[in-house]
Amino acid sequence: MILRTPPPKKQRAEPILHESPSPQVASEGRLVIYEDNPLAAPPPESPHQPSDHLLCTYQCRQMVKADFIDALSNAEKQIRDYQSKLEILNENLSKAEVERKKFRDQFLYAEQELAAAKGREQMLHDQLLKEVNDSQERFKKQLETNNELKGKLQNELNLRKKAESSAASAEEKAADIEGKLTQFSQSIEREKKQLQNELSQLKGESKLSISRISADLERTEFRANSAEKESELLKEQLEDLKKQLNECLNQKSEVEKKMSSFTFQEVTSSESSILIKHLQEELRNYESEVREARKLKSSHEDIELLKAKLLEEKGRRERAESELSKLQEQQICLSNLEKELSLWKLIMKDIPGVSCPEDIPVKFATLQKEVIASTMKIGETNARLKQIEVGLDAAQLAKQNAEAEAALDKEKAEILKSEVKRIELMLSMVTEERNKLSNAINELKRHKNEEAGDEVASGTVVQELESSLAKKESCIKELERSLHEQKEINDRQHNEIKMLHDRLNNEARRIKSLDRETDRLRSEISLLESKLGHGDYSASNTKVLRMVNTLAVDNEAKQTIEALQTELQKTKEKLQALEELKSQSGDTGKLVDSYISEKITKLKEQIATLEKREERYKTVFADRISVFRRACCELFGYKANDYTAQPEISHQVDIFVRKLNSIPAFTANLTVESFNRRTLS
Amino acid sequence: MASRTVAKDIITLRGSAAIVSEFFGYAANSILYNRGVYPEESFAKVKKYGLPMLLTQDEEWLEAGKLQRVVMVIMSKATKEVLERWNFSIETDSDVVEKGVSREKSDREIMREIQAIMRQIASSITYLPCLDEPCVFDVLAYTDTDVPVPFTWIESDPKLIANPQMVKLHSFDTKIHKVDTLVSYKNDEWDEQ
Repeated sequence: MILRTPPPKKQRAEPILHESPSPQVASEGRLVIYEDNPLAAPPPESPHQPSDHLLCTYQCRQMVKADFIDALSNAEKQIRDYQSKLEILNENLSKAEVERKKFRDQFLYAEQELAAAKGREQMLHDQLLKEVNDSQERFKKQLETNNELKGKLQNELNLRKKAESSAASAEEKAADIEGKLTQFSQSIEREKKQLQNELSQLKGESKLSISRISADLERTEFRANSAEKESELLKEQLEDLKKQLNECLNQKSEVEKKMSSFTFQEVTSSESSILIKHLQEELRNYESEVREARKLKSSHEDIELLKAKLLEEKGRRERAESELSKLQEQQICLSNLEKELSLWKLIMKDIPGVSCPEDIPVKFATLQKEVIASTMKIGETNARLKQIEVGLDAAQLAKQNAEAEAALDKEKAEILKSEVKRIELMLSMVTEERNKLSNAINELKRHKNEEAGDEVASGTVVQELESSLAKKESCIKELERSLHEQKEINDRQHNEIKMLHDRLNNEARRIKSLDRETDRLRSEISLLESKLGHGDYSASNTKVLRMVNTLAVDNEAKQTIEALQTELQKTKEKLQALEELKSQSGDTGKLVDSYISEKITKLKEQIATLEKREERYKTVFADRISVFRRACCELFGYKANDYTAQPEISHQVDIFVRKLNSIPAFTANLTVESFNRRTLS
Repeated sequence: MASRTVAKDIITLRGSAAIVSEFFGYAANSILYNRGVYPEESFAKVKKYGLPMLLTQDEEWLEAGKLQRVVMVIMSKATKEVLERWNFSIETDSDVVEKGVSREKSDREIMREIQAIMRQIASSITYLPCLDEPCVFDVLAYTDTDVPVPFTWIESDPKLIANPQMVKLHSFDTKIHKVDTLVSYKNDEWDEQ
């Protein structure tokens, strides 16, 4: 069967391919008639077919027609399929173009962001450079300040060494002066001790004198007591003797009476004479006894005088011994004083600028002032040194802080550099991707032109595009992630820097407030110390007491003591006078005693007579008053016993008798009242 | 005089009070002698200026922990103007007063500290203004308000100096009583000029 169907498309491609060269050939100028491919011509069939061929041409035509129509329909279907595929591909292409545009926009955006990041990076780099330069400059400045401070420190250290050396020399001088002062103070203390010893000795002397005076007082008192006792004894003896005398006189008178009565009886005259003799002997005995008593008394007085003299001699001996010891001590003191004088003179020679002892206190005052000034200077230098040390510490701290900041900045710079490198790497990657994408786009374009005949290649291109898109998306995501991370890092660093700044400010404020508080406290302390030194106090806790002026009290006591002493002396003088009187006259004492006794008897008699008179007057008065009272009662008719106890009557007495001087009015009032009482009751 | 155990340098409240009161006696004597309040020749006769009374009373107050300050005031005899104020501030360890515990300190060290103060009092004549006019002195005691007033003391004003110059001297410490010495004096017209 001869197939007259058209050849398939593939075969058309070949003719296309073949055509292509043919137009090319035609283009070269030759005309080529299209003929069926002789190859395509079926090989001649077997001879038995020509008959069939001539017979069934109509059926064959019909069959060929049907086949052709079938083939047409199939071809049409295929064309439709291909058209739908084309449309789908076109849609895909458009989508791909849209996506391409999107990706291109994204790419451009990424490029812009990259450019911005680059710009920012450059700015950061510039900032970093600036900061590094600034930190370097600061570091240099701080180094310069440190060097300056070091130089100052060295100067101050040198000054301090000089000041210390001067202070050491001043201290040595002060130590020397203190040593000398201690020597002076020791000498002064020695003198004080000596003076105190003298004081104690004088106290002892005074005590001795006081004891002596008290002993004298006691002696005089004892003497006075003994004299009184003796006088009493003597008085008693005198009285006894008087009694005896009286008895004797009585006896004598009796005897005389007897003698007178017995004058006629001369026989008993010898007995009376014997009696008289006896009495005379007794008198003589009594007189002798009195003389012995007086002798004993005088001997007692002598003994007491001797005892007093003994005590005085003992006191004198003790005083002499104490004065001897004093002499020895004073000799020692003299020798010590001479040694001290020699020391003083040597010291005066050693001390420059001193010519006489009066210059020494002035020199000491100047030296003390110099020492005070030097100590003040030392204090000031120490304060300055401390301030400088504080400044140094602060500078060192600042230096350390600056170094730390510089290290931090360096680390930041390194970090930023690494980031920059990373970003550059990313950029390179992104540019590579971009190039790839551009290449892919170009390929896409090419493929778009050749798209109609080659759908397989478009699928691979689409896959390549999709893969490149995916890679791009991943790169972009990575870029975004890195950007985000960098932002976060930057934000964190900014926050840390802000926090550190805030902390620095707070610390600075705290330091200022603490400085202010220390100044305030120092001023308060100085104020309180001045107040304490001034003597201020709080009345709620404290009260102020003043000692009573003991010197006035002592003066008063002294005055009273002096007055008592004068009185003592007066009494002593009186006692001495009495004793002298007693010692001078023995008989006159007797006379004085008799005179005193006579006076006493006279006074007693007078008293007796006066008492008798008083009794007589009392009795007479009692009689008279009783008579007077009886007369008054009889005259007036009233008898008042104890009228003062009755207030009414005493009142009436006051009014009528004392004021009005009228007894009849009084009696009339009394009668009227008594009448009224009786009648009314 | 002061009752303190020599062995181990233990100081009791009574011993510390005795040391402090003895110091007041010596210091007062030294001040009056050095400032020339009474002439030198009268020093032997005028015995202690009534200070035995001061010593016994302030020893009682010190043992009770009631004495805060002792002040010796030097005044002009004619005008009664206060010229100098010698202030001895006392800080008492309340534990010792309440519980009766004892402390430990070397006698020698205490005496050394007292000697330093006495030397300073002696050398104070170099900077204190001269007392050209006759002067008298008074002794003031700053005590707690609940202390009964003995018959030898009366309540008084503190006898302050207006705008004084102050010089702080050394202090001594028995570990029970701490005594700070300070002298305040009226500004001398010569110094002001």
